Amino acid sequence: MKTNAFFLGKGGVGKTTTSAAFALSLARSGKRVLIASLDPAHNLGDVLETTLGDQPKNVETHLDALEVDLNIWVQKYLEESRQELATTYSYDMALNLNSFFDIMKYAPGTEEYAVLWAIEHIRCNLSGNYDLVVYDTPPTALSLRFLAMPAISSLWVAELTKLRERILKKRQTITRLNSESPVASSCVDKDDDRVYGKLGSIKNRLGDLSNLFSLESYMAVVLNPDELSVSEALRIQEELDRIHIPLSALCLNKKGISTAPWNLNEKLSGYPVFEIDFVSSGLHGRNAVAGIDMTKLISDFTNHDTHRKGNL
Amino acid sequence: MNNFLDNVKKAYKIFLQVHKEKATGIAEFELKELENIFSLLILGGFVGMPSPPVPIAMELLPYMERELTIMLARSDTAQDPIGPLFGILDVD
Repeated sequence: MKTNAFFLGKGGVGKTTTSAAFALSLARSGKRVLIASLDPAHNLGDVLETTLGDQPKNVETHLDALEVDLNIWVQKYLEESRQELATTYSYDMALNLNSFFDIMKYAPGTEEYAVLWAIEHIRCNLSGNYDLVVYDTPPTALSLRFLAMPAISSLWVAELTKLRERILKKRQTITRLNSESPVASSCVDKDDDRVYGKLGSIKNRLGDLSNLFSLESYMAVVLNPDELSVSEALRIQEELDRIHIPLSALCLNKKGISTAPWNLNEKLSGYPVFEIDFVSSGLHGRNAVAGIDMTKLISDFTNHDTHRKGNL
Repeated sequence: MNNFLDNVKKAYKIFLQVHKEKATGIAEFELKELENIFSLLILGGFVGMPSPPVPIAMELLPYMERELTIMLARSDTAQDPIGPLFGILDVD
């Protein structure tokens, strides 16, 4: 069985409701479940009828929930970097660089990384207490960016590592030929070079996250019976394919909401589709959400490894 | 006599060191170029160059004091990039 489940999809298709119903069903069947909302516009607490924060809160037996606050993660990370900088650099240099920190939180990529840090924290410090972690994700654009971030960053880290190795090799040559060169006082070994060490640790962290997304996670796309959400589901499938994250299933939510004609694109026809009927009277309260029939989806999730092995 | 031998030893040492410096001069120039490129890649985002995601740059920045000093020194001679190399090669 996979240990993580991600529910992706266009804004408003019902990712939070579907992921909450999935988590509630599993928890009520006896699994220890943590559900985490990564969406900056949180409404998981509303669905579960409780107030959630950045730490896991027990919602009911076997089910804990949290809402990740991305701002806290960005601030925490910048503060750690600022302290590291202040202790490593000489005074005047730190003073000049310090001024960059105030604008770092607006830098492209920071929000995506904050999501990754939060997932890494959940994986390393919290997931040990649970059988599985269910993620309610932000709308497509941010989700695809954070899912792609380990792959993109790994390419950069690989190139920077190669360049660093060339630098260290050159330093070694110079030190061997001329031990009184100023270069001799700098790091010449991979083991001593902190930049090389940091690149290695970033590589390992990104590799772990990449494995989490591609090997340990069940990726479900939630869509509605309309053309727009089908188009977006197709884009998600193509993008996941490009970054080598296998799509596991489609959840057709709000089935029967409209009589307008629609078709599931043939490129999506190879994936299992799990239908969730539209409830015209609305879903009121946690028990109503828990009442959504998730049996088939849970069965597919539980047997997913067997499916994949069978397909290979 | 001992004094004379000491002086010869010192002169030989200086002679050796001068040649070592000459032998590694070009390699040191290349090394500084590589270190400068490394810094430019990390901090390129600030001057409009393609760069890794900012958080990666932020993680490496605390350990790059030497590279940053070289980059700043390089920016001082940016108008005369060949000058330092010609200096090493004794070209006037």
